[in-house]
Amino acid sequence: MNESFRSGAREGFRAFLPFSVGLIPWAIVTGIAMRSSGLSALEAVGMNAIVFAGTAQLGSLPLIVAGAPLWLIALTTIALNLRFMIFSAAIAPAFRDYSLRRRLLSGYLLVDGVFAVCAERLLKSDDPHWRWGCYLAPSVWCWGLWQFFGLIGVLGAGSVPSGWSLEFMATIALLVMLVPMAATRPMLVAALVGGLGAVLLRGLPLRMGLVAGILAGIAAGFAAERWSERRAS
Amino acid sequence: MIEGGALWLTFGVMAVFTVGLRGSFIVLGERGVLPPGLQRALRYAPAAALAALIAPDVLLEAGKLAPANPKLAAALAVIAVTVWSRNPWLPFILGMGVLLAMRKGFGW
Repeated sequence: MNESFRSGAREGFRAFLPFSVGLIPWAIVTGIAMRSSGLSALEAVGMNAIVFAGTAQLGSLPLIVAGAPLWLIALTTIALNLRFMIFSAAIAPAFRDYSLRRRLLSGYLLVDGVFAVCAERLLKSDDPHWRWGCYLAPSVWCWGLWQFFGLIGVLGAGSVPSGWSLEFMATIALLVMLVPMAATRPMLVAALVGGLGAVLLRGLPLRMGLVAGILAGIAAGFAAERWSERRAS
Repeated sequence: MIEGGALWLTFGVMAVFTVGLRGSFIVLGERGVLPPGLQRALRYAPAAALAALIAPDVLLEAGKLAPANPKLAAALAVIAVTVWSRNPWLPFILGMGVLLAMRKGFGW
């Protein structure tokens, strides 16, 4: 805990603090959605700590309720979390001189908000202590916030009478994530084809409709990007 | 519904893949590189996956296409409010409001 670690921690924490407030409704909603999907309070708290990935947690709930096979849940988790591989590639140089243990912990803690706020600061600094502070402080804060407000949601869900369709909060949360993503035309195409594909192909065996829809959406988005580039050039 | 040990196993598998993706290049360092074409295509995976999870829930009722249903109306309200406002609570309040008003108020 030297001075440059503390200075990095202060900088990272201050930069991330305003963004972290936006996490609170997500954490509460995820807590409520897990409980109203039929998870016990312990299972919900466990999922929050073990998986620690809001989108994948919300996305897997309908599959868990339907008793979907494990490989399908794994595949959905991968599709929803693929963005982290791109973040990981972008931020990796900032961790080059760290031990394997520290890098594994960094991987577990990597979230969208901290990446967005801290990646550039980390990549600009040569001081490994400063970088570690600047990454660790906001990441641990974010983790604690997620666990705490998730627990509030888990405990609060029990006091809401059933029949209030609270499980729909998960779908709303997924929608709120999707809408800003679909701001460019290729992304919108990917979303429309992915959604309609999953609906139209729902009859496929082994719930392959979901996978087929996702793959069709990726292909359509990529094709739309190519097409708009060709028109522009 | 997945329950008991199988549920905890599911959490474990989800965690392995999540940490695997988040940690991928951080752990591998300079040794791992993804072909740029694949990287560009994969940017569409989250949007496609989110839509593929949402659409069946809001477009189907008991496995059949239902273009007029309370969930779809609520979803459209959520999309509208997300486009127009940056308030993080409003989509949940409005979405649940529309759904409950239609289900409880009008008995849809």
